[in-house]
Amino acid sequence: MTEELIDEGIDHYRHSTAFTDAEKVALEYSELMQFAPEKIDEAFYDRLREHYTEAEIVELGAFIGFNVGYHTFFRTLDFYPMFSPDGRLVSQEESRRIYGDRPVSHSRGALARALAEAGDQQPAGGE
Amino acid sequence: MSVVEPIDRDLAIQQGLGDILRSCEESGVSDELFPRILAHVPGYAEAIYDAMYRAHALGNVDHKLKEIIRIQLARTARDPYFSNLRSKRALADGLDEQRIDAGSGDFENDPGFTAGERWALRYSYLMYRQPEKIDKTFYDEGKQHFTEAQIMELGGMIALHYGMQVFMRTMQVGPSRDVAD
Repeated sequence: MTEELIDEGIDHYRHSTAFTDAEKVALEYSELMQFAPEKIDEAFYDRLREHYTEAEIVELGAFIGFNVGYHTFFRTLDFYPMFSPDGRLVSQEESRRIYGDRPVSHSRGALARALAEAGDQQPAGGE
Repeated sequence: MSVVEPIDRDLAIQQGLGDILRSCEESGVSDELFPRILAHVPGYAEAIYDAMYRAHALGNVDHKLKEIIRIQLARTARDPYFSNLRSKRALADGLDEQRIDAGSGDFENDPGFTAGERWALRYSYLMYRQPEKIDKTFYDEGKQHFTEAQIMELGGMIALHYGMQVFMRTMQVGPSRDVAD
């Protein structure tokens, strides 16, 4: 697993060659649960069943629901990771400076900024 | 009944979920359908039901307030299953449908709610509609009415119940009961 693959799975999974059809429908399940749950109908579950057992679908669905609920709550608490991208224990103030007001995945966000600040390389892309 | 069929009741009991099914019968939230769907994954039914029960039925925030919040959230999630379940304890303590509807309506101007209850209802209302409005100032207002432990109790309950309500909405489970009963 790499940060690039995480970004790919979030932003470009539909047309990516990095994921199997099974992985793509699971990623779509997650995306729709958050943003358009009305689109998750019987036909969508039939697509999931082409790749997953009922148990695996429940495992995915409950896991996604749990994360949909909690990440929004955590966002309101305004806290940041305890460690910097290079593994240092940092204060919340420093973590906020590293990860920014809208933390996104590392390859486009915190890691790129941290590396740029350290002079190792320029950020690969904007936020 | 559900996009994913619940496992057989006797099988659920064989899997060790008998206590949970009895808890469902006693509490009313949830009924046994939810853990029997989760029971497709060993361990999920017990862990998630237990967490949801603790968040909703235990703790130091008034249970009737949490029941009103739970139903407001289920209506936000447009989940007919959890929207139509009712806590037997909250009903026994005097909660009625009028108060429940008030918690999903113009609660800001309802003299039937205290200032603390209005803040809690606003907290759940905003969480999945306008979370950007839940900032330090908002939490500071909440601390005038609740301890930090109570705010975490509310926030954790809101997050867990809403997440499972969204999931159950996609299961396309209809109401288990008529609230007019």
